[in-house]
Amino acid sequence: MKNRVIVWVLGLAAVAVPAMAQSGLPLPSPVEKELAARASNVTEVTLGKNMLGFAAKFMDGKDKDEEATKHLIEGLDGIYVREYEFDKEGQYTAVDVEKLRSYFQAGGEWSSIVRERDKKSGESTDVMMKMVNGQPHGIFVLDAEPRELSIVLILGPVKMEDLSKLSGIGGLGVLGDLDPDSHSNANKNKDKDKAKAPKAKGGGDE
Amino acid sequence: MRRLVLIPVCFFALAVPVVVLANGVQGGFDQVVSSIEARYHVHADRIPLLGLVNFVARTSTGDGVRGMHVAEIEDFDADVDGEELNKLVAEKLGAGWERVIRETSRKGGSQTLIFMKPEGSRMGMFVLDLDGHEMDVVQMSVDPDHLSEKIGKYEHHERD
Repeated sequence: MKNRVIVWVLGLAAVAVPAMAQSGLPLPSPVEKELAARASNVTEVTLGKNMLGFAAKFMDGKDKDEEATKHLIEGLDGIYVREYEFDKEGQYTAVDVEKLRSYFQAGGEWSSIVRERDKKSGESTDVMMKMVNGQPHGIFVLDAEPRELSIVLILGPVKMEDLSKLSGIGGLGVLGDLDPDSHSNANKNKDKDKAKAPKAKGGGDE
Repeated sequence: MRRLVLIPVCFFALAVPVVVLANGVQGGFDQVVSSIEARYHVHADRIPLLGLVNFVARTSTGDGVRGMHVAEIEDFDADVDGEELNKLVAEKLGAGWERVIRETSRKGGSQTLIFMKPEGSRMGMFVLDLDGHEMDVVQMSVDPDHLSEKIGKYEHHERD
């Protein structure tokens, strides 16, 4: 029993997903409240600049990869993740997904870089990039599966090829599924009509 | 005989300042726990000799971790509304705390809340975890530089 508490404390201190200072991050959209009420499980991760800076301190930057990830995290303005799991299918509609998409795209110049639709299963994935003065300054991922809806919003200078570095952070497991090469297909949206392989979700939130 | 008297005296001389220092940074921890006790009609067990545990944690981590508070509630049978619990904790923790992670199940059996608060070069961390019939509440203050240094030493030692 007490061991569980100790494991919790040490695990948390070591992983130190920590971070926050909500500035720049959006407030939850009204649709999210409705989705949360219908979902059986909800995971919310909100990491602001302060908290990301704190998390970066746990990376000693001794190897190249870790140093690159540390720099990337330090430069970000915030990370916003929402994951809704439902008991059964049909708990959200295409209209809900569209509302989420338009809510997060508001107030910025977003370009769609991946658009995937599976007509058989109704699954869809959208990846959009925010451009500021021609430079990438944010990524938005909306992944809809019959029983699961995931939103990931990363604000700050970040490139597609950096995403896999962030997939170890709490709630960002979905980023590991994205193919960085898809960036080279920018603006070549594709509508797929094929069954997708099951995605490896996770990301060790806490 | 004199020696026997000296041992408890030294122990208290060490333990009292540790407890006093730890209490100084507790923020709203006690308020959160007592509000949970009142709201859900449960009783929280405090970990015995936490002052000493704090002292050891602080020394062994090179001041990486301090101000640790732990409360454990067993036989937690009440129905929990995740939104209500979240509001209660946020309100009782007080200003400056920001919620970083929240995981909630509609049926109420599983709730996790992690709040953080910048404290200069340190970071206050508050964790509440309800899993089935047990709720654990932990608060501590972490210095990432010192803690990371310590973790690095152990990693280095492990590699050797």
